[in-house]
Amino acid sequence: MTDPAGVQASLELTLKDEIVRMYQEVANNPTGEFHFFHGRDAAQLFGYAPEWLDRAPAGAVASFAGVGNPHERSNLQPGETVLDLGSGAGLDAIIASWRVGPTGRVVGIDLNPTMCLKAQANAAASGAKMECQEGRMEEIPLPDASVDVVISNGVINLSFRKRRVVEEMFRVLRPGGRISITDIVSAKQLSQSIVNDPKLWAS
Amino acid sequence: MFRLLEETGFSRVRSAVVPRFRFRKESTQNSAEAYGVKAVMMTALKPAPDVN
Repeated sequence: MTDPAGVQASLELTLKDEIVRMYQEVANNPTGEFHFFHGRDAAQLFGYAPEWLDRAPAGAVASFAGVGNPHERSNLQPGETVLDLGSGAGLDAIIASWRVGPTGRVVGIDLNPTMCLKAQANAAASGAKMECQEGRMEEIPLPDASVDVVISNGVINLSFRKRRVVEEMFRVLRPGGRISITDIVSAKQLSQSIVNDPKLWAS
Repeated sequence: MFRLLEETGFSRVRSAVVPRFRFRKESTQNSAEAYGVKAVMMTALKPAPDVN
């Protein structure tokens, strides 16, 4: 007899590997072709200010793989603490760091420790202050009520446990804190063949 | 997602479609449209305790 929890855990592990592989590929080979638009063209399409894209390190811009612009409504203020869930090569975290200024704090969380190092290097190159921690969005490695704003861009849809992710965002936010996220949603239940295919799910 | 945010306790949950989002490959875009897949912008607030 098949254990559904065991099947899901195994699928999650495979999915994690595929996500790490795919977004590492975007970072390593930003001129490659993917299912999604990425890089400067995508960021401009979503309304990122050209001056942000000129100021940010080329590697962070080229590896941008978001689905929208979480800064549009984040209303970040100097001194705020920001969490970027799934920070990738760091473009959103870097922009957040500029906006919260030297008295603020930006923490990125990413599944992939290599991407964390890359994001921190990109941040340092642009004079931004950002810490990146390897971690899962289902178990955010931050204390309760320690964050003013959560931003995220095209990442939560990758989780099999979205309720858990939302609960974690709620937990780490201070009372009065807010989220500003862009993500992919589906009006219909995806077919089992898509759910069971890590390559399609990770896309 | 909208419902999950409300059920978790977030207030002032707002969402809007990201108008310019689309997949690069036509075949992927067509499949996405068939499933009603779209990119959305969501904002929400963690309520502060009532001090009164």
